[in-house]
Amino acid sequence: MPRAKIYGYIAVIVATLMGLVFVYYAFIHYDMYSSVHFSSIDTGAYWAVVLPIALVTLFVLATCFWVGYTILTIKVAPPMPEIVEKKDNSKFKAFLLCLVTIALAVWFVYGLYHHSYLAIAIPAACITLVILGMIFWVGIAIITTRSTLKKDK
Amino acid sequence: MRALFLCYRGNPFCGGQGIYLYNLTKELAKLGVVIDVIVGPPYPDPLDEWATVYKLENLNMWAIKTKHFPYEKLIKLYKPWHFVDYCLTRFHIFPEMETFSMKAFFLLRKLLKTNHYDIIHDVQCLGWGLLPMKGYGIPIVSTVHHPLTKDREADFPVDNTVWEMACTILFYPLTMQRIVINRLDRVITSSKEGINALNEAFHLSPEKVSVVYNGMDVEFFRNNGSPRQENTLLFVGNTEDHKKGLRYLFDAMTMLPEHVTLTIVDDGPPKRLTAWGWITERGLEKRVTFTGKVDLSTLLHLYSTSTILVMASLYEGFGLPAAEAMACNTPVVVTNAGALPEVVGDCGVIVPPRDAVALKEGILKLINNKALREELGKKGRKRVEDNFAWPVAAKNTLAVYHDVIQSYRSRI
Repeated sequence: MPRAKIYGYIAVIVATLMGLVFVYYAFIHYDMYSSVHFSSIDTGAYWAVVLPIALVTLFVLATCFWVGYTILTIKVAPPMPEIVEKKDNSKFKAFLLCLVTIALAVWFVYGLYHHSYLAIAIPAACITLVILGMIFWVGIAIITTRSTLKKDK
Repeated sequence: MRALFLCYRGNPFCGGQGIYLYNLTKELAKLGVVIDVIVGPPYPDPLDEWATVYKLENLNMWAIKTKHFPYEKLIKLYKPWHFVDYCLTRFHIFPEMETFSMKAFFLLRKLLKTNHYDIIHDVQCLGWGLLPMKGYGIPIVSTVHHPLTKDREADFPVDNTVWEMACTILFYPLTMQRIVINRLDRVITSSKEGINALNEAFHLSPEKVSVVYNGMDVEFFRNNGSPRQENTLLFVGNTEDHKKGLRYLFDAMTMLPEHVTLTIVDDGPPKRLTAWGWITERGLEKRVTFTGKVDLSTLLHLYSTSTILVMASLYEGFGLPAAEAMACNTPVVVTNAGALPEVVGDCGVIVPPRDAVALKEGILKLINNKALREELGKKGRKRVEDNFAWPVAAKNTLAVYHDVIQSYRSRI
């Protein structure tokens, strides 16, 4: 078997295992509704863990807000009539996007302030699972794609 | 003097960057500048005669689904920068400029162990990697023919859904470019109009901008003497680029007599379908033909034998096809968008952009008047010889280098 395919299998297995372990320990094994929360952790340690996750989360939310805001405010030359007809509610959707991202950001910061477990666990899960998902998907693609390279390469 | 060029795409056939890199470095080398080039794919025609070339790999993953990746690309995804590229492209971000500039930064660190550079010349990348490069104490200039805000403005009106608009916004790295461009030592642009465009797009101070007109091969682009065909229009450019205003040209075609035909120098169906969709909507299938990618001698033949070159652009940072057609004594009908009026001067018919009726009238004015066509053709050739030759561009670029280096040294 070509070495790349072996790496593909390793990527799929590792990403799957890590994803399952993460979900199990973050959301199933851990009693999220128990009284044990991050409030018992030392403040320095809490922020050391939380800050990177908070920055990534706020960056993603800010990007979504910026996309909505740009659609709302961009000025382009008047398009041709048939294009105007197609764009009936894009500004409204962009407004909703801005509203939702602001609400999520406020909710997230409120959760951080109160040392909420879910406020950290959900973004951490999103970030981790997206990256693991990409590694998994690359692995699957490598396993299932036929090489067009010559055998001696 | 030793200069390092950075060019994230060196495509020799379209996009302009590869052509710019090839010709400018060739002429600068003739003026005694030692040239090194860091370039990404598609790679330019060989520059080895006058430059040392360092190729950086890029897998060009944007808009390709993972399951459609060829195996040879897939197995390279485990390299860190390729994986970064991969992750960002899955979110519809176009990361080529960011990752190219970062890879170039790390390569430069190695090169500086043996080489000394007087100046770094970036070609339209404006990636994050240029900022840490400033730490090496080398002045950096960048050539920007037009800001990407113009591309985004042209794409936006044809996006139909919020999702398409969001993808357009994510595609263009304007925030990065706005931050980086204001921290460079000088920006070279190819027209006076470019100064305003850069100021409007990135709030770039006009004092930081130098105008150097683009060059072209005026010896090669010369009428080849083949008989000119009547009633044939020519369009040269990327049909997927909404800035080219092709819809307006097709609208004008519907108002022109049936015997007027249009030849497009670019790929048509099945490779590229946007323009073909507009053509079928208007019932122009029999009057519009696509040549696909052509070699330079075929392009020269098309310029020399077509009745008129038409550019219906909504914006042009320079408008090289107009200059090339003028060099072949071919009259042009162009819009007064961007730098086109500066390039064409009084050697063509200039009409407002986004106005199919005006475009049609401009085309008819020339089609019906052979004497005027011949007069404009002769004037066009002279204008190109006087202003747009590569040796002139190289000489002016070198003058900018000297100025930048002098002011850089006076600051430190």
